[in-house]
Amino acid sequence: MADLSRWLLTSPPVEWALKGARELLIGTLRQGPIPQHVAFEMDGNRRFAKNHHMEAIEGHNLGFEALARVLEICYKCGVKVVTVYAFSIENFNRPKSEVGGLMKMAKIKLEQLCQHGALLDRYGACIRVLGERDLIPPDVLPYVDRAVEMTKHNKNAVLNICFPYTSRAEMTAAIKATVEEFSAPPTPPATPFSQARITQKIKSNQLKRTDSVPSRDPSPDPHARSDVDDSVSSTTTLNPDSPRHTPKDKAQVNEYKDKETITAETVTGHMYTADCPPLDIFVRTSGVRRLSDFMLWQCHEDAHIFFLNCFWPEFDLWHFVPVLLEWQWRQKQMGREARPGRRVKAE
Amino acid sequence: MPFSAKDTTVYRADAQVDGKLLKAQQREELAKRYLPSPPSSPDARRKRSNATSETSRFGVRKLLRQQLYALSYALIHIIFSFYIRVRIAYHTVSLGIVSILKYHHRTPEYIQRDVQSLPKKPKHVSVILTLEDGGKRGDAKDRLLNEVAEITAWCASAGISLLTVYEKTGVLKDKMEREHREISKRLQDWFGRYQAPDLHLHSPNMRVISPSNYRGPKLRHGAMPAGVQAVGVNFISCEDGRESVVDLTRVLTDMSQRGKISVNDITTDVIDEELRQVLNEPDLLISFSPYVDLQGFPPWQIRLTEIYCQEDNQGVGYQVFLNALRKYSSATFKLGK
Repeated sequence: MADLSRWLLTSPPVEWALKGARELLIGTLRQGPIPQHVAFEMDGNRRFAKNHHMEAIEGHNLGFEALARVLEICYKCGVKVVTVYAFSIENFNRPKSEVGGLMKMAKIKLEQLCQHGALLDRYGACIRVLGERDLIPPDVLPYVDRAVEMTKHNKNAVLNICFPYTSRAEMTAAIKATVEEFSAPPTPPATPFSQARITQKIKSNQLKRTDSVPSRDPSPDPHARSDVDDSVSSTTTLNPDSPRHTPKDKAQVNEYKDKETITAETVTGHMYTADCPPLDIFVRTSGVRRLSDFMLWQCHEDAHIFFLNCFWPEFDLWHFVPVLLEWQWRQKQMGREARPGRRVKAE
Repeated sequence: MPFSAKDTTVYRADAQVDGKLLKAQQREELAKRYLPSPPSSPDARRKRSNATSETSRFGVRKLLRQQLYALSYALIHIIFSFYIRVRIAYHTVSLGIVSILKYHHRTPEYIQRDVQSLPKKPKHVSVILTLEDGGKRGDAKDRLLNEVAEITAWCASAGISLLTVYEKTGVLKDKMEREHREISKRLQDWFGRYQAPDLHLHSPNMRVISPSNYRGPKLRHGAMPAGVQAVGVNFISCEDGRESVVDLTRVLTDMSQRGKISVNDITTDVIDEELRQVLNEPDLLISFSPYVDLQGFPPWQIRLTEIYCQEDNQGVGYQVFLNALRKYSSATFKLGK
């Protein structure tokens, strides 16, 4: 029986009809409001493999296929940003063979991606890797960089791959970057003014201030002298893709920026997803009802969280359509409740 | 579009041997059939506009397709909204019936019996409550307080000693003395005047409100084997969410500006330690709204919290609470593994 249904499903006419149905569904969904930012927590690869008596790594391979399917659906529907949780910092605690296998897989897929650069442009998607760069194994890192570099010019859509990532680490990095921004000495204007004079001026200002702030850095010279180095070192803690510090206020020359001006937006601006639209849909598969250190900051409000019971390798259009439909329906309900809709209709 | 069966087999054979089977060229051929047409560069667009002016059939076809999509969109949404209404009705009715049949009769023993069979219970439960109608109606706060008192009594009966109530606007944070009286009264109704657990009400940056005659933990022998002797209720609002992280950032900035710390001293542990002062990570978060909506709940603290939300449920109900506890006890925890 199972054989028969498989034969039927893979026969060319049925395949053709299914393809048509998918096309129709995607075209249909595009008529309504479309989420701008969707996050997927790809959970359940290993349990799927276990249920089907496969090696864990095979489950991950199937999970990758599912990811390719989902990305296609999302981008065809008009989703601007897709964020996927590929690898958690906690995942390094898994058996060595599996971590090694996953890393090898990432390397191969990224390598293949680089070989087909031109094909990738058809989707107009750029790839970004979010997370702790230091933790990426050195043999994978060059491929990551190449893939990011090769797709940088694409502007239609974004794929955020969270790879060694945890949300708490992200928030810590954002807080650090904010603190750094606000406690960096003011930048000298980028004009042919003499640096020595500026150093002198800053020194004298700091001397003036010493009575009010006695415990300040005893040697202001390294700060003032090597400003370029400073800004470079400050970005090393950040992901290279996250935006650089906002240009500092030129008016406040020798004062620190006022800490009271720090708002939630300032901190958000230092998250890895700073330039992405707010998260609309969060999907977690495999029936686990936890965020597990993914997108904690971004989920905080107005994000619709869906916990699905299917495993990630099974995830397909047929699971995603109810999610999208329900989201569109809620969006309409909210619009009806006299709240102006946040989303504009996608053209 | 999904690969056809034949191409899938080819692809999987290739993936099996780590991509050594096919050459880049072959793989490209494999994928090409499924890719969308190249993005329209200005040059190509001009060419295409020429083509459409020559054969208007393409334009007609496009228009028809657009109409088809619009029609099927309307159709799908009619069907879906019908489906969702049926689903909501079904869930409401079934939950209503269950809650009548399994009513707790405001007796702690009944609740104890309900949770007895659960292998694992959360120690710290958090609930998200909403002020009805945005608090426009006068009795909205009283209703909210009633809900809080009710949930506190459930928790005390189920042996959960810490409850965190998240309410976005923070109305619960003022007049806490009065709230303490109200909730204590409710607990006394449930447990009896002398058996009622001690109630400790607190809120970040505020002093803990304990019973007036409270002198450290009392030892009550055999009074309540499964219950708790003291229950803590913590009120938080949206200012304890992202705002608290911002506040912490301000403090850290201040320290860094004064040169007391260097940026590299800021680690996850430090932040975690500080944000614990606001709220400890709850084990279970119950949302009483129809779908999971965090409404600005503190982001740092929900890292591994089990989130429970009864689909299509509206409002606070004992059954939802009980289902959440059941779900929690069946969940497995395996961080990163």
